[in-house]
Amino acid sequence: MSGLRIEGCTVAFGGLRAIDNVTLAIPEGTITALIGPNGSGKSTFVNMVSGQIPPAAGRILLGGGAITGLRPDRIVHRGLARTYQVPKVPKELTIEEVISVPLRYARSDRPLPPGVRSAADLARYCGLRPAGGTRCGQLSVSDLRRLEIARALACRPDVLLLDESMAGLSLEDTEQVIALVREIHAAGVTVLVIEHVMRIIATLCRHAIVLNQGRLLAEGEPQRVLTDPDVREAYLGKGFTL
Amino acid sequence: MNAAGMNILVLRLGFYVAVAAPFVAVALAEHAFLVQVAIGIAVSAILALAWDILSRTGQVSLGHAAFFGMGGYGSALLTPVLGPVLGWIAGLLLCGAVAVLLGAVTLRLRRLYFTIATLSFSLSIQVFILVTPDLTGGSTGIMPPVLAGGSPPHQLLFITGCLVAAAAVSDVFLGSRFRPAFFMIRNNPHLAAASGVPVTRLKILAFAVSGMVAGLAGACYAGLYGYVIPDDVFTTNWNVLPLAVTILGGMDTTLGPVVGAVALRLLEEVARHFVGGVGYQVVYGAVIILFIVGMPAGLVGFARGLLRRRKATERPDGAKARLAS
Repeated sequence: MSGLRIEGCTVAFGGLRAIDNVTLAIPEGTITALIGPNGSGKSTFVNMVSGQIPPAAGRILLGGGAITGLRPDRIVHRGLARTYQVPKVPKELTIEEVISVPLRYARSDRPLPPGVRSAADLARYCGLRPAGGTRCGQLSVSDLRRLEIARALACRPDVLLLDESMAGLSLEDTEQVIALVREIHAAGVTVLVIEHVMRIIATLCRHAIVLNQGRLLAEGEPQRVLTDPDVREAYLGKGFTL
Repeated sequence: MNAAGMNILVLRLGFYVAVAAPFVAVALAEHAFLVQVAIGIAVSAILALAWDILSRTGQVSLGHAAFFGMGGYGSALLTPVLGPVLGWIAGLLLCGAVAVLLGAVTLRLRRLYFTIATLSFSLSIQVFILVTPDLTGGSTGIMPPVLAGGSPPHQLLFITGCLVAAAAVSDVFLGSRFRPAFFMIRNNPHLAAASGVPVTRLKILAFAVSGMVAGLAGACYAGLYGYVIPDDVFTTNWNVLPLAVTILGGMDTTLGPVVGAVALRLLEEVARHFVGGVGYQVVYGAVIILFIVGMPAGLVGFARGLLRRRKATERPDGAKARLAS
């Protein structure tokens, strides 16, 4: 079974179980949404899968092979890349230099997106203008998000985790990033989108996973999941309706 | 090799010639005082380059005197056994090996903790020398073979060669293979790891290379007079000097540590001339602090900033000219 599989994983910070015995699958070739209220464990989930915080229990399988407990750079080599919600990139580096790092170090024989040969190509593919040696210190938030996606794509992943890549973007920028995610998916990458905005999830994904208090709350088609009484309660509290 | 690569190579070689030229000129002029000053500057510059290579991965060392001293002691003690060439190589490899071992433990420490670890390491190496008189001569010191037959101008020529070698090593780590990855490690190690960079391995590599280049500086220094005691090489001065030189000249560059070494020596001489006695050290310290506050990017960084600003003001004119034509 390819794609990404999480089997009985737990991450605990002291007494708090940020991820509590979660089992789920992200099927190959899908765009899946991971949603949940603030503090539900979404970011911890991404940190766990990408190897930054290894799970205390359970197994993580990527393309059928276990990646549990591997170093983050090894997990990248196995074909899983992630973005950071607030990317802190070195201000003194140019767009191309940042993208060049995974191009050089993320050993991979998987192909780059069609028509992309260099760091500059990849920057343009993600809607950036790399010309003139623009340094990262001068980039806007939306360009930093695009750069994060470009950097993750330069890892040439099979599975890409996008951690709130569209949070705080303008409507226009959001539309462009959604189009980009569709294009990445069409090129054969399995995508997990961590998002807050329901509209984005409804348009982009056919599969949604809901976390609440570190546990799997619901899973299935976005329309069905979003109308699930338990999910509504987790977001809004008892007695409210959408 | 393609044309662009060829151009870069020619530029780099030109740069090394430009760096070496003043030192060679002083050596050929055989001016006794200036030769000593130039030797001091070249040794400081090599040590500062070593320090800067490591600092590009975000590790601030306050213990480079340890590698400086180990390079001096190692080359001195191994030369009688292995001959001058192999003796020096073995001395530097010893520095690299110790850096790898130390790095395997300390590079997992974050920032300030790493700095403190390097400082304590340099202090404990000094104690190690003092308690092993049979092996290292203890407090009475050692008598390394004198460099270049004891002729200062020839010593200067040799050390200038070492400086160019250190500059070339520094440039390797400013190339496309290492510079972006090192800066990413310094700025955000999680992001580097998430980009496939083996963070700890690259940090250890930087530490080993830095230790070996610092050892080269120490080997040069120990060979100057044919006599070295622990207090000559394992002192706080050699711990702080590379940091002061690099910050003064400009971090993350090859030119910065060289310019910084010249500027610091100039500052020292001027302060000594006008203040005299021991008081000059206070003035000299104060001026360094002023520089750090006023020019955080160092002399080279400041000059680059000026150039960039000039280019930026020129650009509108260029655009106008294009529109007019």
